Amino acid sequence: MNRTTKLAFAMLLGLTAPAMAQDIKVGTIFPLSGGAGPDGQTVTNAVKLMVQQINDKGGLLGRKLTVVSKDDESTPAVGVSRANEMIAEKADVVIEGWNSPVTLAMQPILARAGIMDITAVSKSDLILNGQSNPYAVRINSSNGFDAAVIAKYIVETLKAKKVAFLTQNDVYGNGFQSAVEAEFKNLNFSGEVVMTEKFAFKDTDFRVQLTNLKGANPDAIIVTNASNSSGLPAMVEQYRQADIKSAFVGAVGIMLTTVFKVAGDANNGIVSADIFFPDLPPFTTMPESTAFVAAYKKAYGVDPDKSAALGAAAVQVWAQAVESTKSLDRKTVAEAIRGKTIKGTVFGDAQFLPNGQMQPRYVVFKVVDGKNAKLEALR
Amino acid sequence: MTVIESRSPTPMPLLRAASIGAFIVLGFFLPRLLGGTSVAYSTLTTIAIFAVMCYGVDVVLSYLGEVSLGHTLFWAIGGYAAANLSTKYGLDGWSTALATIALCLAAAAFLGAVTLRTREFVFSLVTYAAAVVAYEIAFNWDAIGGSDGIVGIPPLTLPLVATSFSAATQEDLWPVSFVLLLLTLGLIARFRYSRLGTVALMAQMNPALAASLGVDPRRVRLAVFVISAPITGLAGWLYAYQRAYVGPDMFESYFLVMMLTAVVLVGRRVLIGPLVGTALLVAQQNLFSLGGDWNKIVLGSVLALVLIFWPTGLVGLYRRFSKR
Repeated sequence: MNRTTKLAFAMLLGLTAPAMAQDIKVGTIFPLSGGAGPDGQTVTNAVKLMVQQINDKGGLLGRKLTVVSKDDESTPAVGVSRANEMIAEKADVVIEGWNSPVTLAMQPILARAGIMDITAVSKSDLILNGQSNPYAVRINSSNGFDAAVIAKYIVETLKAKKVAFLTQNDVYGNGFQSAVEAEFKNLNFSGEVVMTEKFAFKDTDFRVQLTNLKGANPDAIIVTNASNSSGLPAMVEQYRQADIKSAFVGAVGIMLTTVFKVAGDANNGIVSADIFFPDLPPFTTMPESTAFVAAYKKAYGVDPDKSAALGAAAVQVWAQAVESTKSLDRKTVAEAIRGKTIKGTVFGDAQFLPNGQMQPRYVVFKVVDGKNAKLEALR
Repeated sequence: MTVIESRSPTPMPLLRAASIGAFIVLGFFLPRLLGGTSVAYSTLTTIAIFAVMCYGVDVVLSYLGEVSLGHTLFWAIGGYAAANLSTKYGLDGWSTALATIALCLAAAAFLGAVTLRTREFVFSLVTYAAAVVAYEIAFNWDAIGGSDGIVGIPPLTLPLVATSFSAATQEDLWPVSFVLLLLTLGLIARFRYSRLGTVALMAQMNPALAASLGVDPRRVRLAVFVISAPITGLAGWLYAYQRAYVGPDMFESYFLVMMLTAVVLVGRRVLIGPLVGTALLVAQQNLFSLGGDWNKIVLGSVLALVLIFWPTGLVGLYRRFSKR
């Protein structure tokens, strides 16, 4: 083959390439650097793993999937730039959101460009109110559902009469407390809230509040503390040192790996709830879940946590909606998810409310061996 | 009292006016020249907005010789005014802009009066403290958005006498940001030759001379500080419409570092300095990004290196080499 024919071939290839089906682009925007970097990498890894599995089975609509992942640096302004880049790269879906403000800033940008946007983790209620994105979909549980589970445990399982709150003084903490109190009313709670103590997100010394709580001696203390690497482990240690007899009931999702790593056995006896566990029923009996846990462990060497499951579920939910509608159009895909049930995700059969919120399946648990993060499912 | 005459601006020769006009036309069509994509429009709109934001800091740094760490406060005032007034009361762009200017003037008059006797380090510290206090208020006060911020900001509307303008897309917002940038540049250019600009510079460079001429340095400081606030404020005002979401992140160090670096990078008292600095920084972050952690390291190092080795910025560096 001489040079001219080679060139002609190359040109021919170049001409035919655009005619072939292009890859479907799955975009992810999570913090990959800074404090939340490791968390964002976990979600991104789970998305990549799921996309890989779909490709191994032949792709979607006969096309391969590729992942484009970007770093929002936990900064809304950076997230907006990344969202604009996703538009330029013509992403077919964007899975995003560790911090609510970043999600809220990116939503209108992606919505205006008509890009399907799935929020994996960010919890703010504003995300689903339809103002920025009328086709929003969120996988993680909402504060309202979280509060209902905790209130139900306090009233029906623990049958507590005297309850106290130890609340982080911001929208997250105060919002959770008022949601729990509203649920108490719904459940006709006959007991009373005897005390509310507050602290700031960055606090690490809670001895004053804990001394007051010890004096009030309630049956249960409901704790919101989102500072899982410093504030919460410190609080758990000081709670034990103060020798408080009340049950420590943690808000949903606060008992993360770092808490067990730092506070160890001081965590024993804490009751909390969450929506995914690699090693607790009902997830150990769901084939989709166990397959995901095994594949994730094989790929990355550790058990997937809840955030990994959220990322994986986001891909599964979207892919199934695309498959069933044979479409990548934002409205069509979103309408196949919102208010519908998507079968066979890592969360089992996932039901979505009409506003796009996935209905979570909670497991209430008790810590039995804090050092090894061993939990026991209650009820 | 001696009357200090300001230098009157040199009469503009035809050639100069023509070349400025050509630059303006070129600037206006720049997004079209860069392909006319929505990314080109949004990036250039962002650069224009951030540049205006930086000019507020530039005025204080160049003419008072002080580093204000509190200009994120005015930036946030603009954003929160636009967000709250447009979502809750349905006010149009003119009203929210007027409110921004009024609120910024009031806040700057207060902060300026408080910091009147402070210099250098203490001035920076007090302005920074003001921004931190404002951040805590914005974060905890649910009535103005709380820690979640405000969503659903409507497209910018600027009803004129005969016609009505509504900016729904990035393409529509570009002319507004471009005009805002031009107005800012015009204001700064005039300010350089105004009486206040001249006196402020003298009070900074040669306080003894200023005092002997009967200049009250405190009054000058206050005036310059108050003038700088609505510039940054109006940038925040437009940013709110561009992003359609405003939250406490308006106070983040991302914006503060951007302001300071963009101003010192090219050099103080260079008219287009902050604009060029902003363009370089935004381009680096979006086109030549090294990843989040590295971008911050680079940005911080550039700021430190420039301040230590070339306090006169890129312009000073160029002059040093061109002299050899």
